[in-house]
Amino acid sequence: MLQVLANGLALGAAYALVALGFVLVVNAASAVNFAQGDLVMAGGFAAVALGRLWPVPGIVLLPAVLAIMAVLGLLLSAIAYFPLRGRPATAVFVSTIAVGLMLENAANAIFGAEPQAGPPLFPGAVIALGPVSLSRQALAVIVTAAVLITAQELLFARTRLGQRLRATAQDREMAAAIGINVTWMIALSFALAAALGGAAGLLLANSFFVTPTDGTNYMLKAYIAVVIGGWGSIPGAVAGALLIAVFEVVYPSLPLLVPALPASWLFSETTATIILYIVVLAVLLLRPRGLFGEAALRRA
Amino acid sequence: MRAVICSCAALLAVALGAPVRAAEVSIPVLVPITGFLSLEGTSQRNGAMLAIQNAPPGLTVRADVADTGTAPDVAVNALERALGREAPTAVVASMLGTQVLAMLPIALEHKVPLLTVSGTASVTEKGNPYVFRFFPGDAITKIAHVRYAAEILKAKRLALIAQTTEYGQSGRAAIEATAAKLGLAIVFEESVDVQLRDLSPVLGKVRAAKPDVLLLHLHAGPTALAIRQAAAMNLDIPIVAGSALHQPTTAALLEPAELRGVCAETNASPVSGGSPEMERFLQQYRDRYKTEPDGYALGQYDGVMMALQAVARGATTPAALTAALSSGTYRGLAMTYKSDGKGNMAHSAIIVCYDGKSRVPRIAKRYDDLDGVLAR
Amino acid sequence: MKMEFARGLRAPLTAAAGGLAIWPFVFSGAYDLRLFTLAGIYVLLVLGYQFIFGHSGALSLTQGAFFGLGAYATAILAVHAGWSFPETLVLSVAVSTALAAVIAVPVLRLESHYFALATLGIAQVLLLVCREWVPLTGGVNGISGVPGFALLGHAIPNGVPSLILVWSLVIIAAVLAWRIQGGIYGLGFHVVRAAPAAAGAIGLDGGRFRLVAFLLSAAYAGAAGALFVRVNRIVSPDVLEFPLMVTCLAMTVIGGATRIAGAFAGAVLLVYLPEWFRPLDKYYLIAYGAGLLAMIVVAPDGLIGAAARLRQRIAPEADTPPEPARLPRPANTITASLVFRDVAKSFGGVRALQGVSFELRRGEILGLIGPNGSGKTTLVNIATGLEARDGGAVLYGNRLLTRLPPFAIARLGIARTFQNVCLAGEMSALDNVAVARSLDGDVDLETARSQAMYLLETLGVGGVAMMRALDLPHGVQRRIEIARALALQPDILLLDEPAAGLNEREQADLASRIRTLRTLGLGILLIEHNMPFLAGLADRLVCLHEGRVIAQGSPGGVRQDPQVIAAYLGLPQRAPG
Repeated sequence: MLQVLANGLALGAAYALVALGFVLVVNAASAVNFAQGDLVMAGGFAAVALGRLWPVPGIVLLPAVLAIMAVLGLLLSAIAYFPLRGRPATAVFVSTIAVGLMLENAANAIFGAEPQAGPPLFPGAVIALGPVSLSRQALAVIVTAAVLITAQELLFARTRLGQRLRATAQDREMAAAIGINVTWMIALSFALAAALGGAAGLLLANSFFVTPTDGTNYMLKAYIAVVIGGWGSIPGAVAGALLIAVFEVVYPSLPLLVPALPASWLFSETTATIILYIVVLAVLLLRPRGLFGEAALRRA
Repeated sequence: MRAVICSCAALLAVALGAPVRAAEVSIPVLVPITGFLSLEGTSQRNGAMLAIQNAPPGLTVRADVADTGTAPDVAVNALERALGREAPTAVVASMLGTQVLAMLPIALEHKVPLLTVSGTASVTEKGNPYVFRFFPGDAITKIAHVRYAAEILKAKRLALIAQTTEYGQSGRAAIEATAAKLGLAIVFEESVDVQLRDLSPVLGKVRAAKPDVLLLHLHAGPTALAIRQAAAMNLDIPIVAGSALHQPTTAALLEPAELRGVCAETNASPVSGGSPEMERFLQQYRDRYKTEPDGYALGQYDGVMMALQAVARGATTPAALTAALSSGTYRGLAMTYKSDGKGNMAHSAIIVCYDGKSRVPRIAKRYDDLDGVLAR
Repeated sequence: MKMEFARGLRAPLTAAAGGLAIWPFVFSGAYDLRLFTLAGIYVLLVLGYQFIFGHSGALSLTQGAFFGLGAYATAILAVHAGWSFPETLVLSVAVSTALAAVIAVPVLRLESHYFALATLGIAQVLLLVCREWVPLTGGVNGISGVPGFALLGHAIPNGVPSLILVWSLVIIAAVLAWRIQGGIYGLGFHVVRAAPAAAGAIGLDGGRFRLVAFLLSAAYAGAAGALFVRVNRIVSPDVLEFPLMVTCLAMTVIGGATRIAGAFAGAVLLVYLPEWFRPLDKYYLIAYGAGLLAMIVVAPDGLIGAAARLRQRIAPEADTPPEPARLPRPANTITASLVFRDVAKSFGGVRALQGVSFELRRGEILGLIGPNGSGKTTLVNIATGLEARDGGAVLYGNRLLTRLPPFAIARLGIARTFQNVCLAGEMSALDNVAVARSLDGDVDLETARSQAMYLLETLGVGGVAMMRALDLPHGVQRRIEIARALALQPDILLLDEPAAGLNEREQADLASRIRTLRTLGLGILLIEHNMPFLAGLADRLVCLHEGRVIAQGSPGGVRQDPQVIAAYLGLPQRAPG
């Protein structure tokens, strides 16, 4: 049981970064960034490419990947968000879908369609460690993700820049009225979201490889995490992501933990996915607010 | 797409005054260059073009390459286009099962042979005389897969993890049938999605079922993930993987140490060498494409070569070529090919094993003529 | 019913249609005919998507799933049960529409980002089920050997005959779509999408519109799927996958989401583009994404919309305004008053309204005054159903208004204007008013426009009737809103600062118009700050301050009430002495 939970936690930590990036943009710009998943994939490929240039451990490459992805995030906001301000929300959906498409196919053109392995976070073989068979890489992923999430929290809570970002997220008009450069804050939020997503990509690229078509999957996970956790809630996004990952890992393992249950299709991975979607739909229909979020029904 | 290849030996022969039959044929290459099968499609393309480069003297071959993507209707579009443009003698067809199935009626209507390396069983079960598959079908390879586990690894209890894609479901059915025939019990089986990242729950269930051997029938990424995660959790059960592992790009995802003791079934493993002709093919391929060839490239190479040699011997029309392919025997680089009457040309498979020190496997066992067709 | 064909682009589109008609005769190889047939099928898919995505503005991601469902329904019943083409066509449409009906109710009321996810989730579940339910769907290999088209026992081969069959159906579907989204109903879609609050205020049930749009989109998609599988003779799970949805979305956006011609343009272009772009190899798809992005940024109304705008700039066509027509005399139904009883409302911890009680009688003009933030607009919002009260009640006759949705309240005969003007900016002033006539079942678009013209003229803004609402100055927009409210022929009229932005003469005109309405028996509530305007007009005044009624009665009395003066001067409520 502990083993299963530990695996879920490692995966969940990475998903949490993705969901966090997604919710930051939701808050700052009231926009759904459909390209978030593809940003994760881009970060993974950035790690792969850099790892080929410099054969150093992934942890050394992390700052470079963060920087590259931040720039990509700024670019994304410039071409897919800012030109569409004032338009209905669906326009940004479509523009970010388009950018995601471009990212996926650029990765395909440059790197090919087959999976690639990124450099491990810390050097050394992937071996079991401790009473729980947690691989060193998985542990490193959890720790790194926790550090990044804490760093983001500190940024928001303790720095002036963070205060401005939060103010923009809470009420754009008010923030503009008190002199905050809202445009710049939104752009930075995109940069932050891309950096977090890219970090997740790097973390995942070694254990789970990276393929150009990964984007949609990560996007869906982030979207679901944010809905379950509560639209617009940062702790909700992290909680939602962890819940998804743990569910993904625990549900199919139930026959192992409860011997009475048959190891049949009922507990297969596919069934787990179907159940996840049904749960999400149920949440949307019965408690759209999710765990921590705001009301969701349209007015008129 | 617009690669027009010309063999100039004909001109040389004319200049030397030797009598020559200058046959000109068109063989469009319609394979997935974009999408999730672009690796295999590119292998097909490379193998085909290399065969054309090595075509027998006296042949001028025109080969337009077109992308079939991932959807059946795109493949049909490409085929219709190629048929409308030129009069092809044969067509190199995508190895994606659903695309071949969609192309079959068109090939039948225009009476043009399709040369493919698809492993999907149903492709040759539609009674269509115009499809020729130069890759052993699941019915063949899975016999090798299971027999190796039974005969060499002495397994009585098997565990199976397959993919939910068409490749996975087709292979799963074949493994179940072979295991039943050999009296082996499948104590655990599950099909997983291509996107699944963490296979440890499945591997945990495998461990609990206490099998003797774990069979994998997965695509490249998931195969590597399964092997890595099995090693990480000290599964300690011998693994025999599907042909996805033999592809050099898949092995590249893993450390040699993680591959120790792992075996895979495949049609051929060119990088393992084995004969002077194979080494020459390897060198040519590396020089021209700057990458390692896999079994799909070699299978397609053999297939196109067989066709070209038939054409050089006089089968210059689609009808004649179809007849030649249906009745002839061809000793290719990977194996000997002969049609079983339904278009299955390949009847042999090999098992390759990794020693833990390098990513290049050695050929552990050859299974020739698994269904007795060559002996007829 | 006279409707415009190819508004603004008549000549180019007629030429394009002609080109499209002779295309298959010029390019008549098997390959070209096949592509053209496929293009028609996608036109059908996009026409359906325009209802929900274009006209209703909702990002539905189930369109591909409905398409796939229709394809599978046809394949399963044609192969396993030998159903004929007409039978499977009807079935595919029915199956997709039925699924849409089942998911519509819970899903359509979700906010846009939730709606997108819910539809995406449903599509994913369908895909997974399709892959797993092997006995029914053939699993990932799908179902092959689907027979082609056949009518009355005669097979219709691929090539020209199939093409004609498919395109005949497409033309019928397009004409149907044109009739649905043209006319006054089509204007209703626009208002529901662009100004939902206004839609409710003129009696349009936004939920109903979205439901109809969703069902129609599913029906069209099901039909397209049924045709698709007969052309390809094989169905596999990739018809249910996300890339097909993206293709549909791209076609709709690039062609033009609200114009019939846009469906044709987008579908035809994006079917041919991959074939034309074969030289680009794997870079084609990057170009595709870039094209989609460029289109949504630069030309959100697609190629056809951009063409129309371009044409407008090159050769501006001034639309001639219609002849005004008086509205029919409404039957005199209720003579009830609008009664506010103890109405209370809190926002968070703030008490916006408390114990507000008064009555608006028929045939009277009641002025509602009070300093900013006293809750006047909130009160009107509660009366018209835009906000829920926390206590008390609003009654109209015997009916309790406080649980009805805004459109139901409007249909009872209560009309309003908004403090921040709420018009559909892209629509002309005339159409903004005309659409409010849609509640009267006998009225067609032409008549509605004439009547709207009359109303605009009575408010002195007839001259700008054909201009876009968002191009007009604020004061003019306010008067258009009043005209729109009057178009409902209401019994109760709630006007929120109608005199703002008007000069003295215009104010006098408006005042006399309001007096006429009073004579006709309407009860009129005027929220105003403009005291001189109110002075000669109001029969009674009610003054609100910090959510309470602090004075009501005759204008003279109220204006001299010391508490009222104190409130306006910002002094604490109980003035000494």
